[in-house]
Amino acid sequence: MPSATLLGQSILSGLFIGGLYALMGLGLSLAWGYLKLINLAHLAFAFLAAYVTYQFVGYAGLSPPVALLIVVPAFFLLGVALQALYTRFAVGEFASLLVTFGIAVIVESLIQYFWTADFRKLQIEHGTASLRIGTLFVPVIEALMLLVAAALSLATWAWLRFTYLGKAMRASAENPEIAAAFGIDPRRLALLMSGIGTAYAGVAGVFIALTSTLFPAQIFAWVGVVFAVVILGGLGNPLGVLAAGLAIGVSESVTMAVTEPTWAPLVAFTLLILVLILRPGRI
Amino acid sequence: MSESALLAAEGLHVAYGDAPALWDVSLTIAAGETVAVIGPNGAGKTTLVNALARLLAIRRGRLRFDGDDVTAATAQDMCQRGVALVPEGRRLFVGMTVEENLEIGCYRPAARRRRAQNLERVYDMFPILRQRRRQISGTMSGGQQQMVAIGRALMAEPRLLLIDEPSLGLAPAIVEQVFTVIQDIHAQGVAVLLIEQNVAKALEIADRAYVLEGGRIVGAGLPRDLLAQPHIRSAYLGEDGAER
Repeated sequence: MPSATLLGQSILSGLFIGGLYALMGLGLSLAWGYLKLINLAHLAFAFLAAYVTYQFVGYAGLSPPVALLIVVPAFFLLGVALQALYTRFAVGEFASLLVTFGIAVIVESLIQYFWTADFRKLQIEHGTASLRIGTLFVPVIEALMLLVAAALSLATWAWLRFTYLGKAMRASAENPEIAAAFGIDPRRLALLMSGIGTAYAGVAGVFIALTSTLFPAQIFAWVGVVFAVVILGGLGNPLGVLAAGLAIGVSESVTMAVTEPTWAPLVAFTLLILVLILRPGRI
Repeated sequence: MSESALLAAEGLHVAYGDAPALWDVSLTIAAGETVAVIGPNGAGKTTLVNALARLLAIRRGRLRFDGDDVTAATAQDMCQRGVALVPEGRRLFVGMTVEENLEIGCYRPAARRRRAQNLERVYDMFPILRQRRRQISGTMSGGQQQMVAIGRALMAEPRLLLIDEPSLGLAPAIVEQVFTVIQDIHAQGVAVLLIEQNVAKALEIADRAYVLEGGRIVGAGLPRDLLAQPHIRSAYLGEDGAER
């Protein structure tokens, strides 16, 4: 049995990685829940954003917040443009699997072309700064990442629940025809939602660049656990995604501490399978 | 009447794919008038309502609203002009609460400004909805859902209300209440197009009525004139025409 400090530290790092899971799952969950698109390219976009951030911060000398300010609007526009194409070609839920898988492969190839398959790691000042709380170390950037994930989940939830635009989004996901009869334009809302979801991939990418070593094959390594988070959290449910991300992150991390790191990947899918058996209505 | 009509349809043709559903349908609704459309199942009544709300494409013919040609208008556009729909089967946003459904009703900017007072008006009309405002609408009874559907349309402050089969599947006491509300709406100056299987009830509250059979208008007139026709009495009121 590990010591209290080790256990505390693994719960903490589980929360941080869980924050990243949630950040990556958020846009995926929104697109699946509200646009009926299973966006396999979502993680590819997150890693594209990570490489772009790596370029901006590592070579162009921009600070990470400035990189964020460029990446987020650019990815918002990318999301809007893609949704316009999906609508134009009437891409449905199952076709979206194929189309977005293709896009993911293209993005991976582009990354390989520009940045090669070598490992890349951003070195920034204060990048490894951490606070010490009691016997625990709290890395600042990871803590910030968790905070941003929580803030975005909460803000998205509040937007969907309390604003006219958010309610219109929910209404048009449920019944676009009747929503249209009440003056809602489901197409424009879909563009907005896709922009927001892809911008979230951009945010996730910036934090991936700041916290992880980058290599193109990572895109597909994350797919499994992020999908587990999305399905566990409930499609289109931002707070659910946050909770599921943290739950999977912490269980993985504690499993690593208590048993061996090789057992960790089992946790996400065990949780997912259990939930699908016990609550089959989730998907 | 055609020049002063709020809504005027001339020779509408509507089809689902290759299957025609409406042929050469012409009708008018004047401002503030209650018009009933009666007809058997499958006559195209719901198709007519959905075409007027611009949810279905019009193949041929012309549709005017308030003097403007709206044959090619979108559903959103019809809403902005003041047409609201109480669809067949209610079609609420069943995952959303009662109040959220009502708020979608006042999504159009013109109505949004008076959200609070219109909510009050709907809640005064249907007090049960005030109590249930936080309830997920899909978990309510059919009658209560119908109240939400009517309330949602009223939140849009319509000039023309299209009501499709409001009494379908409801208990008689609720049906009475729904018809009373429709009369109140009419009394407030809103034009109403009422599609109804309960022909006796519909003709009781309508100013005029059309008879739709097999996708065509086969009769039109004042309710008492229609009621005097043996064909109407036997087909829709279940009475033997010879008895009278």
